[in-house]
This record gives sequence, structure tokens and C-alpha cells, in this order.
Amino acid sequence: MGGVLSYFSAFFGTKEKRILILGLDGAGKTTILYKLQVGEVVTTIPTIGFNVETLMYKNLKFQVWDLGGQTSIRPYWRCYYSNTDAIIYVVDSMDRDRIGISKQELFSMLEEDELRKSTLVVFANKQDIEGAMTVSEVANALGLAGIKHKYQIFKTSAIKGEGLNEAMEWLATAMTQTK
Amino acid sequence: MWTGTKMTDSKYFTTTKKGEIFELKAELNSDKKEKKKEAVKKVIASMTVGKDVSALFPDVVNCMQTDNLELKKLVYLYLMNYAKSQPDMAIMAVNTFVKDCEDSNPLIRALAVRTMGCIRVDKITEYLCEPLRKCLKDEDPYVRKTAAVCVAKLHDINAQLVEDQGFLDLLRDLLSDSNPMVVANAVAAISEILDASPSAHQVLEMNSNTINKLLTALNECTEWGQVFILDAISNFTPKDDKEAQSICERVTPRLAHANAAVVLSAVKVVMKFMEMLEPQSDYVTMLMKKLAPPLVTLLSAEPEIQYVALRNINLIVQKRPEILKNEMKVFFVKYNDPIYVKLEKLDIMIRLTSQGNIAQVLAELKEYATEVDVDFVRKSVRAIGRCAIKVEQAAERCVSTLLDLIQTKVNYVVQEAIVVIKDIFRKYPNKYESIIATLCENLDTLDEPEARASMIWIIGEYAERIDNADELLESFLEGFQDENAQVQLQLLTAIVKLFLKRPTNTQELVQQVLSLATQDSDNPDLRDRGYIYWRLLSTDPAAAKEVVLAEKPLISEETDLIEPTLLDELICHISSLASVYHKPPSAFVEGRAGFRRALPPRSQSGNLTDEQPIVAEGGAPTQIPQATVIPGADSLLGDLLGMDLGPSMQQQMYPPAPVQSQTPVQSSMDLLGEGLDTLLGPTTTGGDALGGLGDIFGMPQSQAYVPPQEVWLTAAKGKGLEITGAMCRKNGQIFMEMTFTNRAMQTMGGFAIQFNKNSFGLMQAEPLNIQNQLYVGFQTKVLIVRSLSTH
Repeated sequence: MGGVLSYFSAFFGTKEKRILILGLDGAGKTTILYKLQVGEVVTTIPTIGFNVETLMYKNLKFQVWDLGGQTSIRPYWRCYYSNTDAIIYVVDSMDRDRIGISKQELFSMLEEDELRKSTLVVFANKQDIEGAMTVSEVANALGLAGIKHKYQIFKTSAIKGEGLNEAMEWLATAMTQTK
Repeated sequence: MWTGTKMTDSKYFTTTKKGEIFELKAELNSDKKEKKKEAVKKVIASMTVGKDVSALFPDVVNCMQTDNLELKKLVYLYLMNYAKSQPDMAIMAVNTFVKDCEDSNPLIRALAVRTMGCIRVDKITEYLCEPLRKCLKDEDPYVRKTAAVCVAKLHDINAQLVEDQGFLDLLRDLLSDSNPMVVANAVAAISEILDASPSAHQVLEMNSNTINKLLTALNECTEWGQVFILDAISNFTPKDDKEAQSICERVTPRLAHANAAVVLSAVKVVMKFMEMLEPQSDYVTMLMKKLAPPLVTLLSAEPEIQYVALRNINLIVQKRPEILKNEMKVFFVKYNDPIYVKLEKLDIMIRLTSQGNIAQVLAELKEYATEVDVDFVRKSVRAIGRCAIKVEQAAERCVSTLLDLIQTKVNYVVQEAIVVIKDIFRKYPNKYESIIATLCENLDTLDEPEARASMIWIIGEYAERIDNADELLESFLEGFQDENAQVQLQLLTAIVKLFLKRPTNTQELVQQVLSLATQDSDNPDLRDRGYIYWRLLSTDPAAAKEVVLAEKPLISEETDLIEPTLLDELICHISSLASVYHKPPSAFVEGRAGFRRALPPRSQSGNLTDEQPIVAEGGAPTQIPQATVIPGADSLLGDLLGMDLGPSMQQQMYPPAPVQSQTPVQSSMDLLGEGLDTLLGPTTTGGDALGGLGDIFGMPQSQAYVPPQEVWLTAAKGKGLEITGAMCRKNGQIFMEMTFTNRAMQTMGGFAIQFNKNSFGLMQAEPLNIQNQLYVGFQTKVLIVRSLSTH
């Protein structure tokens, strides 16, 4: 029944789902956004600010905000939290040094009241590179087990487009269920 | 748990939960595009009326990425206003700018680069360099020209960044752009940058090659582009007269442009480069012929433009009177001209007056003197007097015209007439004294200090011919204390003159005025003058006579000419505010790099002057003042009375006519050098003040080393007074030797010197002995003894 409803609601163009893509700088957020939107890998420069794109997945319309991950910009993430349906948290699986910082950012974000009901998807990105942390390693390092939110982790490679579809599939389902 | 408490507490402090801002916030975050746009419009409306909507900054910035051009423009507008109040948050807008600078629509690219330039937040400027660099090389000329302007804006925020990023080179490359609009805007940006930081000169210095490109672009770009290009060309110094001529040739067609600003800028270029050309050449003659019609045409524009044109013409006429000498008629005042245009026209009329057109001018002036506007009438009457002084042949007609005007008995006309008649008496002594009787009839109506002072001067000067001079002066004396200082000084001098001419029954009068001046006055000038007369009269009446009734030098020619160095500088600023104010830009623009523009020196072809600095140091010494001047009304007093105080030396009566600087220098050195001891010899027994001087100058010159004099004060800094000097030792005493040179347009007077406490313990032993008038172009040498204080 939910499927039928969502089909109609998408057809009539009702409420867009609001998704934030967050993560440390250089994790691949912008690449993921444009891979999802245009299906191509675009050359990116560090995002000083944000990108926002609308993308259709199946019959759902997503308004996806990709926020810059630089230290100077992280304080402004909170301006984007309200009414957020889902968070895509991107982790550079190669960046073992900063996985701790990534964890801190993730947890302080999840403490925010406004994100109480949001779904979380973690992308363990850059899986195409040899020697990257595995999904379980990333999950452990981030301490995902202690999260109360509805979440899932995927291994992805934005460059190769691997894992993105599965992740979006899961996200779409998860969001229609919450509705 | 703890976090939860924090959240609930903090909500008490958030005030945005209600009210207009809150509603707008909700609307801005709406899903519907229309609603969003409406909300941004509301925000802009609030911003425009002055409400503070800076709290909505993040929400508005979030609307920035949109395909809707209208919405984008609104958001940009908001950003320009509030980026400064939210400097940290402004960083969130950077990525959108970066994206928009790569948009497929050139309008959006240009809009982004323009807005970027207006966001004056230092923190984000560095992020904007890359997109700006791309836009400077954009395929679309509109984007390139917008980017060029943005470089100038960025330079204003962070000059170092612009130089480090190599934007100046990119900007210079744009001068060779194929699109004239881009060239014009690059020129505008470069001019702006050069004005702000002279250090950019190395990169942005124009050369013949770039000037050529500018001249090519000149014919194709918009009128305002032409103005920028012409202004830039005028700042270029051609390497020789050939180049100057070829630039003039290519600029002259602009003189026919419909836009007054283009015309004036072209005039500026021509006026400046004409300096480099052979003055007698046919080409210069032809150029000057070409300059007249465009200037005349400017006078048929709106009054405001006329005024600007007239102020510029005023400069041009002073620099090169030949250009407009045959155009007198266009400066005749029309009845419906606004007063500011009338006054300015009148000024130029007088400057153009010559023997050839004096009849016409005089007829006009006579008519103006009967108009209703008081200021204009006054100036017209004054103009008649100036004509009389300027054109000797017409003096008689002018005087009779003035007399006619006095007959009208219109109070202010009479007063102005008397002021100028006094000048005429100075210029043509013993010629028109017959009219004194008429003047005296109007004594009672004079209520302005200047007119009263002038009348009193006339009475004093011609006391021997006015039978009742003593009665007249006595009548003035009654209200002595209430008179203006100017009148008091004149009255004092006039009565002393009267006494010296008719000593018999005026003794009482002179006693009275001297006691009034010395005992009852707080004015130091008046007191000093009173005492000097008193002493002169009591010690040596014969000497007093020689001093007070000395023959005065003739006054001559033009009044209120602008000082030549300033005039040259202003010529370089034609068509700018400086040429309207008649002040150098440094006088009214704060924080401008204080370099002065000067006209290029004349050069012969082939005679390469490689490094002609645009920046000239003060006044060019080659320019010998061309005219002497009647000082303005306020300083006139000093001139009139100055003679009274000087020592009785016939040599001092220099001819005021322009002289090669060589001669006066010699004579003055002679005067104060060896000449002095003989001169002062007999007087040493006299007044004690003079006695000391005799010692100084009478002293045999020892053969000690005399160091060459150095310039202590340049003419540019000293308002025309140049002082060179050296310390030297003669006969065991320390002297400070100084040479004063008057390079200004006016006679100087009232010299005084003061020594500050110094570590050498040097003090002034004698007062400054300097003839109290230093004429234009003259020098005088002074020796001052400095004694070592005992402490």
C-alpha cells in the first residue's frame, strides 16, 4: 500500500526528500552527488560552500545538499539540519589518520535535536583503492554500533560507481517506510 | 541527558521563533519555488527600507543555486548588502560563485563575477581568485570586461593579493583585446589601480605599443569608454614630439564628439601634448584653431555643463589665451544664464579682453552693471576697473564709465567703483585725479570696509589736492574704534600722509590717531604700525617723509591668475573635479597617493627623453612666472602700505614688470651685499634698530669657507617661497645665511623668523632683516647672526 501511495505522491510531485551529504573534506561528497545526478565522474575542486541538486531516484524526488567538508565550513552544517530526511555520511576509507575526527563529527552531528528522525547512510568510499579499510573496519572505527538512528553502511566507489545504487535503493526504501 | 537540558535551555534565548523574520525563514525554506522567490523579494524589500534582515543570511544564501535568473539576482543583491555583516558565513556562498562563473550563460558568469567584486570580505577573496582568472580569459567580451572591473575592485580590498596573483598582467593583456569595450574597461580599471597604488606602475606602465592599441580602440568604443581611454592617454608621456603629434592627430577627431566629457578629455590630451611641440610650428597653430570650436560648442549645452566647461575654459585661457582670443562674443552673458554661469563668463571675458575688443566688452560690462543681481553687478563694476588696468588705451573710457555708474548713486555700485578706481590710480598715477571730487561726494554712503579703506587711501594719497582732506579724515576718525581693522590701518596711514604733506594744522589729528592706534587698540598690526610712524616722525621727519611718501611701484595686469605650477597641474586634470574646483586633487581627495601631474617638457625630435617622470617634484624651475599680479582684495592692503615701512632706498623700487630672473637677483644681492654698508653707514647713528644692522653688514668679509647653500624649503611646499641656506662662520661668529626666492605669483611680505630651542644652543641675535616686500621672481639674501646661548 505504501508503494502505491508513494507512486502517486511522486507522480503529483509532492514533498521532496531532503538529503544532506556530509563528511570530511576530500571524502568524495561532490563526486558522489554528480555521479548520482548525471551518472558521470566530474572533476571537482574543494567545495567552499555547498552544492544543491535535485535528483530523481525511482519515483522519489530528492533535494540533495552537498556541503563542504573543510574545517572552516563544518560549523555551518547545522544551518542545514532542519527538515532533513536523510544524511549520507561519506568516509574516505583510505584516510586512516582522520577517521577519528570523522567519528567525532558524525556523533556531534547526530546529537542535534533537528536530526533526531533522520535516516543515516554511511558510505565507506574509495573502495576502488588498494589497501582501503573494509566496511567493517570503517563501521568499527566510526563506532556505528552505538548509534540510535536508523542507519546502514555501504562500501562504495564514486569513481567506479560501485555501491551507489545499492545504497540509494536502501535509502529510498527506508524513507518510504518511515512515511 | 545533559545535552537535552542544554537544548531546552537555549530555546529561551532564541528570539527568532516568532515574528516576521521567523515567517520569512519558513518561506525561504519552502519547497515551492514561487514561494521562495516571493520570500526573497520580501527580504529585499525589508532590506531596502532599512530593516535588519541579516539574520536570514544562511537561508537566503541557500536559495542561491537556482536556474531562476531573477531569484539569483535578488540573492546576489542581498549578498552584496549583508556579506560584510556576516563575514564568516559568507564563505558558504563561494562555491556558488565558482559554479556560476562556469555557467553556460555569459550573463550569469558576468553577474557572478560582478557580485564577487562587490563582496568586500577579506576572508573569501582568495577563493574568488581562480574564478576571476577564468573570467578574465572568458570567451565572451561582456564577461571579460566585467572581470576587468572586478580586478580593480579586488585591488581596493587587497592590493597585495591582486599583485601576487598576477592579475595586473592579465589586466594589461586585456588592453590588447579585440573588443573595444573590454579595452575601455581594462583602461578604467588600470587607471583606478594606478591612482590607488603607484607601486603598480612597473606592471601597468603604458608604452607606445599599448597607446597605439588604445588609439585604435578609441574610435570604436562607447562614449564613456572613450573618456577612460583619453584620460589614460593623457597620463602617458610620449618619447618625443613626433609621437606627441601623432597622438594629437588621432585624438583630434574626438573633439567633434557630442558628449561633453569626451570633448573635454580630448582637449586635455591635446593641451598636454601640445606642450611638447614646437610652439611656433604650423601644426600647433592648426591645433589651437581646432580647439576653439568644440569649446564654444560646449557653451550651448545645459547650464550645469556650461559651468563645468567654463571652469575648464578658464584654465585653458590662462594657459593659452590665443585659442579663444577671437571668441569673445560667446562669453557675453545672456539674460537668462544662471548666476554661476554669469560670474564665470565675466571672469573669462576679462581674461580675453584686449585692445581689439575692449569697446565691445566695455559696452557689455556697462549693461551688466545695470542688472538686478547684486553679485553680478559688483563683479561687472570690478571688471570694468580690471579692463582699465589691462588695456591702457581704454583706461579713459573705463574711468568715464565708472563715473557714470557712480552717478547712479546705487550704493553697492558706487562702493565697488571706488574700490577699483583706487587700483586705477595706482596704475595710472597723476592722470585721473580730477575725479576725486566726484568720489568725495559719495563719502557718506560708503558702508563696506573695503570701499571705506579705498576711499581713505585715496584721500591720504592725494591729500594735497583735496582742500578739506583733514576734515574728511577727521570725520572718519570719530568712529575709529568701531571700524574694521583694514579701515583703521588705512586711516592711520592716510592721516600720517596728510600730516607729512600739510604739517601746519594737522598736528592734533595725527596725535589723536597715533594715540588711538597705539594705546586704545588691541590689534597688534595697528599698534606696531602706529609705533613705527610715531618713532619715525619723532626722530626724523624728513626720513619719515621719504618713507611714507615714497613713490610706489605700478601695479600691473592680470589679477587672480593661478600660480603657474598649479595651473600646469590643473591642465593635466582638465575634465575632472580638480579643474572645476581649481584645486589639485590632493586638496580635496583624502588618502590619494600624493603625486602631482605636470605637463611634459618640450622635446626636440630625435632628442630622446627616455625617463620622463610623470611625477614631477614640485614646481618646474623652467617656468618663470609670466605675469605679475595685483594681489587679491584682502592682501592689497599690504601692498599699498608696504612701502611705508621699508627703509628709504630708491633701489628698492623695482619695476614690477616681468623681468628675466637674472637681473633682479643681481640687483638684490648687490643691494643687500656690498651695497648695504655704504647705505647703512650714515644711518648707524640713527635709530638703534638700524644700528645693529650696520655692524653686521659693515663687517669685513673674512675669507673663511662658505658652504654652498642648500634648499631648505622648496617652492612647492612653501607656497611659492623658496628658501636656500647654509650655516657658516665668519669672524668667529656663527651666521645663518639664507636666500629667499619668490616663485609665486604674488608679492610676498611680512617675513619673520623664529628659532626653536635647539641642542646647539643657537639663538637669534638679530631680527630678520628683510625688505618687507619680495617681488615675484626676485631673490633676497639675508644673514642672521646666531649667538650661542650661555646656558
